[in-house]
Amino acid sequence: MKTAGRSAAGAGDVAAVVAARREMNQRLASTRREGRSWGFAIGCLLVLAALPLLQFAGNFNYVLHMALYTFMYIAMASAWNIVGGYTGYISLGHNVFFGIGGYFSGMILASAGISTLITAPAAGAVAAVFGFLVGLVTLRVRGPSFIISSIALLMIARILFDNWDYVGGSNGLSVPLSTLPVEWAKLPYFYAMLVIAVLSIAASYRIKHSKFGLGLRALSQDEVKAESAGINTKLYKVAAFAISAFFVGMAGAVWGEYLTYIRPNIFLIILVAANMVLMCILGGKGTVTGPIVGAILLIAFNEFFVAYFGASELNILGTGVIMLLALMFFPLGIVGTLARQGRLPRFLDWD
Amino acid sequence: MSDALQILILGITLGGVYALMASGLTLIFGVMRIVNLAHPIMIICGAYVAYWLFNLYRVDPILAMPVAAVFMFGVGLVLYQLVFAKEAASAKYSEMTVLLTFAVALVLDGFLGALFSNTQRVTTPPYATDAIVIGDLFIPTAQLYAGLISIALIGALVVFLQFTRMGYAIRATTQNRTAAALLGVNVGFISLVTFAIGVALAGAAGALVSFVFSFFPAKHWEWIAVLMSLVVLGGMGKLMGTIVGAFALSIVAAFVGTYAGATWSTITFFLALFLVLLIRPQGLFGDPIESA
Repeated sequence: MKTAGRSAAGAGDVAAVVAARREMNQRLASTRREGRSWGFAIGCLLVLAALPLLQFAGNFNYVLHMALYTFMYIAMASAWNIVGGYTGYISLGHNVFFGIGGYFSGMILASAGISTLITAPAAGAVAAVFGFLVGLVTLRVRGPSFIISSIALLMIARILFDNWDYVGGSNGLSVPLSTLPVEWAKLPYFYAMLVIAVLSIAASYRIKHSKFGLGLRALSQDEVKAESAGINTKLYKVAAFAISAFFVGMAGAVWGEYLTYIRPNIFLIILVAANMVLMCILGGKGTVTGPIVGAILLIAFNEFFVAYFGASELNILGTGVIMLLALMFFPLGIVGTLARQGRLPRFLDWD
Repeated sequence: MSDALQILILGITLGGVYALMASGLTLIFGVMRIVNLAHPIMIICGAYVAYWLFNLYRVDPILAMPVAAVFMFGVGLVLYQLVFAKEAASAKYSEMTVLLTFAVALVLDGFLGALFSNTQRVTTPPYATDAIVIGDLFIPTAQLYAGLISIALIGALVVFLQFTRMGYAIRATTQNRTAAALLGVNVGFISLVTFAIGVALAGAAGALVSFVFSFFPAKHWEWIAVLMSLVVLGGMGKLMGTIVGAFALSIVAAFVGTYAGATWSTITFFLALFLVLLIRPQGLFGDPIESA
């Protein structure tokens, strides 16, 4: 009697499970994306590439500057996301690589006159090698200890560059002004930053959909289990760190020449790293489009803030408040939250 | 020889101050696994309390210390309830709290900066520029007083943790949160109080720091790395380790500073941090690393 009852219940359970699974499959099928919205991405790119045409209609240098600045942060936030989002190692000193890239190319420009637009890949490579070596040491520890070591790295870099007379100490490095007419002066840097941003996003997308990226995400969940599943966690995370450093270094190189001066108190302040982190959190850590959305939003916010309240300490306060609210109420970020609710528009879904 | 003794004494008194600055940090990490990146800015809050009490009402910074501690105790209670209490159940708790405290640090940094501007300040009680001379030895009184008071406060903290009921509860929670809860410790309440005590220690340290170092809001970034290297060196969350680390590193830093210049004395802390990570990632007194 008892056994019969149980088997009947069991049959009922099986039927329920099968029904639930069918329903789940149907739901998945109904929400499945028909490919990526490549059209949207390419359209965006074409519009952005055509943006400098505005210069024929008047002086739109401010628009170009803001676009360029946004490209830079998109590149850096996407690069940060490879380490902080996929791998789960939060680096609060990532602008060390920004500084290294800037100084490397800046020194070549100042001494040999070769534009950073040419040397940027080399600057990225130097940053990547440096990232690899640093990663070998700091990625040995997880969680809080890693975060602390990343801050310490930034502090060491700041002290070294502040006191290294060869690269100008705390006064920094001055590089020659662009000789282009003022309306076209931003153009080379605009396109360079656009290319770096696109490369950085592309790398982030490729990594997310590769075995490498799967390994990174596995080790972010549980390093020991990932290791026992045959992932070379040590190599994986150091490689991710180096790739990330590469793009940040390239962005630093171009930004240095664009600004025409490279100073520790511009390149090596923690607010730059904080911005990268905050953009990823705001947009959605570990998603491909999250850092892009976060970068655009945060820069727009900062710009409004500066326009209304002036550039002051209030800016830091504002950054902190947004970060606090985002962490407390939207820890998954915009893209992450929308994706969880199944309401992520197709053009943002590249995960 | 007397040179070395001189440097040693300076290193020890400074070590006491650093130990006090880092003790709240280590207490908070030990009990709640919160890496309080906002700790140094809280020290600076305490320093401002002492600074304004001295400049407006001529209150000696040493007497202002309890005021700063009580004030920051209140700040700690409010902050914990507002920000951290509901995070305790989060899966990526430790990582999350680092980001949260980083955000809190930005908020306080911006707030203090907007309020008081980033000019260098220092409280100037009469003993701030004085020195005691014994034979060849030259000991700045400010540093001596701050060091001695810090050592006394840390002693009081150790006694509190070792011999009071609440101290037992705090230590039990540090060792094993679940077991402590099962044995009837109100873990939530202990966390709240410990956080507030940690922040109060930051306030007390701030009052002492206000006449030893010059300070301004943005200075806390430098201190984050310095204090964190002490905490990592000693093994995260181990109070004894932190204290030993603080004395050891500030003595080394004092020697480095004398023979190689002040710039390099700061870097000593960070290089020590990297060496520890390289050789013994769990720190001098730490347990083997957990995978979280």
